[in-house]
Amino acid sequence: MRATLSLIHREFSAYFFSPIAYVVIAVFLAVTGYLFALSVLQLTAPGPKGISYPMQLIVNDVAFWLVFLFIPPLLTMRLFAEERSSGTLEMLMTAPLRDWQIVFSKFVACYAFFVLMWLPTLLYLPVLLDWQWGTWRCGIDPWTVGATYLGLALAGAMFLSLGMFVSSLVKSQIVAALVALFLSLLFIVAGIWRPEMDASGTAYQVLFYVTVPLHFERNFSHGVVDTRQLILYSSVAFLCLFLTIRSLESRRWR
Amino acid sequence: MIHVSRLTKFYGDYPAVQDVSFDVPAGQIVGFLGPNGAGKSTTMRILAGYLTATSGQATIDGLDVLWDSVEVRRRIGYMPESCPLYQEMRVHEYLRFRAGIKGLHGGKRRQRIDFVLKRCWLEDVRRQLIGTLSKGYRQRVGLADALLASPPVLILDEPTAGLDPAQIRATRALIHELGREHTILLSTHILSEVEKTPCDRVIIIHEGRVAASGTLADLQEKASANACLIADFDGSIDEEALGGLPGLTDAASAKIDGGVRLRLHAGDLGSLTPRLCGLAAAQGWKIRQIRPERPTLEDLFVQITGRETA
Repeated sequence: MRATLSLIHREFSAYFFSPIAYVVIAVFLAVTGYLFALSVLQLTAPGPKGISYPMQLIVNDVAFWLVFLFIPPLLTMRLFAEERSSGTLEMLMTAPLRDWQIVFSKFVACYAFFVLMWLPTLLYLPVLLDWQWGTWRCGIDPWTVGATYLGLALAGAMFLSLGMFVSSLVKSQIVAALVALFLSLLFIVAGIWRPEMDASGTAYQVLFYVTVPLHFERNFSHGVVDTRQLILYSSVAFLCLFLTIRSLESRRWR
Repeated sequence: MIHVSRLTKFYGDYPAVQDVSFDVPAGQIVGFLGPNGAGKSTTMRILAGYLTATSGQATIDGLDVLWDSVEVRRRIGYMPESCPLYQEMRVHEYLRFRAGIKGLHGGKRRQRIDFVLKRCWLEDVRRQLIGTLSKGYRQRVGLADALLASPPVLILDEPTAGLDPAQIRATRALIHELGREHTILLSTHILSEVEKTPCDRVIIIHEGRVAASGTLADLQEKASANACLIADFDGSIDEEALGGLPGLTDAASAKIDGGVRLRLHAGDLGSLTPRLCGLAAAQGWKIRQIRPERPTLEDLFVQITGRETA
């Protein structure tokens, strides 16, 4: 257990050795900050122009999903690809650690960075939820926000584990990032491209089932927690973690 | 301590290691010698648990490297060939991290880190970034890492590659010292290395197979089995007369500048020299020099590795 903690600690601090971490956080906060400002305006706008749910505008925006598309591959690309190209994977794999401990530690470190990135957005919540300091209550139903954060947490886990799996397959960080980007795009593209389709058709149903931005637009931001989506995110995440362990293990056999 | 039997490793169709068997008893320093690409690193990687063998078995301290991989890895300190390290970490940070994943914590961890820093002469650079260290220092960081958990077995892949002569000497001395407490398997492709490192035994590996093994003295003896006497004479000599030398098994002559060189093989070289001198005096040959030629370990090495490629 303590060995795992040591590894998590090293992987987490490794993010801050490179400028990517700072750039990612800066871009992410700039985009969400801008969307937050817009949301405040919209929530207070009179008449039919406004929005009714606090997080609705943020998770519906194309800019948000573009950022969300690029950030996980940037966070995961180095996890294994860097170790392979520099040869340090050999040091790691000859240490007395099991393969799953390595994969688990790297995932936890990467996820911790993802959470860290989201932490400052909690500052927006008192404003978005119309927090009453006198009565300690929200002026707006907080559970729509809770559902959105739950969705983001699981969707993040899915994209990060996907990226980590790709990183364990290749030697070059750039290739890892691009392939992960492409695979993530499959889950996001329909949210950006917004095809005109018959919403009752089978094709749309399938598209809706895998398109993460649509889940947020229709369900999470409205406070609807649909188990189908939770299961999709967590099963893809677990599958990718499992495949990463296998991919690492298969290195030994080659 | 290390027991390897019939180990084979294929990379695709290419056999990197074939049918390699050897034993390293506890407390010995064993040198693993062979040209580049002979399969030294592959064998060591299998022992360290980085690769799995295609067939065959290897055990360390009685534990199978495949089935008890993690337990085996706890018992060995492995230093890979090019000694890859995290460039962006400081030396003491790196050692703290490595000690952590090897299961050392608290006071024990501090104590071991201080110990290996001292042991590998790294105290001056403990706060330096690994990326800024010279090759020699990096090698020492790798060695320090291998020593951290004070494992009974050390597997060092080319510990002196890329070092300058002074560093090589220092590393050799360190290995000699470590040999008192650890069982060491070290590899090198430089022969003089093995002759100077205090190896108890040498295993010469070539094209994935064990070509020769034994103590240095054994191998030296084996090499000198075809020692001969070289005698140079001025002018020409009557080779027929050599037939009169008792014990002579083989003679070959070659022309050299203004004279003749004889290459004489005999069961007893020691007594051949005075007899040859006597013969030369009787025949009136002008001796330039007579000297014994004993093939060195290097000749044996070339002979072994050259023969099979031919």
